[in-house]
Amino acid sequence: MITSRKFLDIFAWIVLIVALFAFLFPIWWTITTSFKNPRDITTWPPPYIPFLDFEPTLSAWKSIFGGPGQIGTGGHSGSLIFRTVTNSLIIGVSSTALAITIGSLAAYSLARFKFKRWKNDDIAFWILSNKFFPPVAMVLPFFVIFKTLNMLDTLQAVILVHTAMNLPFVVWMMREFFLELPREVEESAMIDGCSVFGVLRRVVLPLAAPSLATVAVFCFIFSWNELLFALFLTFSKAQTLPMLIAGETHTGSPLWWLISAVSTVAIIPPILLTTLVQKYIIKGLTWGAVKG
Amino acid sequence: MLLAPCIIYFLALGIFPLIYNVYLSLQWIEQTAGPGAQRFVGLENYFKLFRDVRFWATLKNTFVFVISTVGLEFVLGLGLALILNREMKGGKIFRVLLVIPSMLTPVAVGYTFRMILNPTWGPMNHFLSFVGIPPVHWLDSPALSLFSIILIDIWEWTPFMFLFLLAGLQGLPKDSYEAAIIDGASAWQVFRYITLPLLYPVIIVACLLRAIDAFKIFDTIYVTTAGGPGISSESVTMYAQAVAMRYMSLGYGSTIATMLFIMVVTVGVIFINRVRKQREVA
Repeated sequence: MITSRKFLDIFAWIVLIVALFAFLFPIWWTITTSFKNPRDITTWPPPYIPFLDFEPTLSAWKSIFGGPGQIGTGGHSGSLIFRTVTNSLIIGVSSTALAITIGSLAAYSLARFKFKRWKNDDIAFWILSNKFFPPVAMVLPFFVIFKTLNMLDTLQAVILVHTAMNLPFVVWMMREFFLELPREVEESAMIDGCSVFGVLRRVVLPLAAPSLATVAVFCFIFSWNELLFALFLTFSKAQTLPMLIAGETHTGSPLWWLISAVSTVAIIPPILLTTLVQKYIIKGLTWGAVKG
Repeated sequence: MLLAPCIIYFLALGIFPLIYNVYLSLQWIEQTAGPGAQRFVGLENYFKLFRDVRFWATLKNTFVFVISTVGLEFVLGLGLALILNREMKGGKIFRVLLVIPSMLTPVAVGYTFRMILNPTWGPMNHFLSFVGIPPVHWLDSPALSLFSIILIDIWEWTPFMFLFLLAGLQGLPKDSYEAAIIDGASAWQVFRYITLPLLYPVIIVACLLRAIDAFKIFDTIYVTTAGGPGISSESVTMYAQAVAMRYMSLGYGSTIATMLFIMVVTVGVIFINRVRKQREVA
């Protein structure tokens, strides 16, 4: 019995290591490729380890940031990556802030007050169902609407759309959180003469801050990664980082080392944020269906 | 009152676009024919859709994609969860590391896999050469392109499935297991008659969330194969995007999008009603 348990433990470790390798190798590959010389990319067998298999170079990084890299031709101009990263940051932060504000107010009222005409649960599920609409069914109307409003290729258009995209998630997650929050604290504050907004600001908000932060991190990542809406609504001025990468791959022969560097820039925030909210990651990913 | 901004937002940027989308699908709009080239054509676009071979092909691709990714990710994720559901030193850190693929920018992932699956210098073929498999044309052969997209999606989302099911497993009551083991149940019996039924609600939600996302597949295909070669890996979303942007016919693009919408909502409603029933029972 003991030996079979030990065997299972070893087996579990082997599976874990194989899984880790399989799931992390592509990330390793992208990051190392951004430090390769063009000639090191198409060699066989593929070089894996810097210094050992190939001589790392900063030229790709220099050229995406506008420096005089040796492979400057066809590369990005420095302002382009700064602009797309700034756009993505502005869009991510603003749409997250909007979605969190509107969404948590709605979530709070769904968790606390009873509505006359519809059941609260029905409203919540209706809001949730918004998440299931395929984006492609919304993107063409958005395109026409924003074109009419003369708002194509503006950050505001993308912010509005990304907010709509993230709202169901915020409402759903924050409602679950508010439902778990004991009412007594709020009620005693009410008795002490606090208004609804006073209770919200002084009692609920401090308690909700960690959950709000976690939900916000997820919203930001969703917005940061989004391509389809950005593709329809922007073309140059308001271009986002995913669009820059996507656009690059359609050129005749892709400049792998450059795209690797840009991809690395794109995947750094999600990786950092993921480790930041690691405790709540399961809860967030599963829409609160499972508490991890 | 606090709910109002949210409801208004949804009406303006959720429901209205959908209705508008249906309206657009009843129009003939060709951007190439100059501005204002638009007229009402009734259901003509829909009749065209039913005769459109390419639409049915992309629909088939989408369904093959959804069913195989959700199925395979579920099986792999459950397997990993069952094996790794034990005390392991440092296991927590590894679990966090494992989830990273699901959080990464899909276009960056797609691009990474274009390198990894490259037939002449990609590491994938290099690894396969160790076991004597000759170079495979992953993304640029019609027979394998969709399969390769499925492979990429499995890489991205199996960790999610794994963590989801693992958390579910760890939430299961321990006493029913002990009772079964005392009664002399085999490992398979325990799994089949205790673990699976108890885990069922979690499984449903996990598969639903994945399926909904899988129906929308776009980013990965857009940067890896762009639907090709031919239309061998084109999804419905890809097709609608191509019709609307490359061929500039907004009306017909909307028709395709509306059809996808109807299908996703049907699938979603069936699933959600199940979940709701279970929540009410619980």
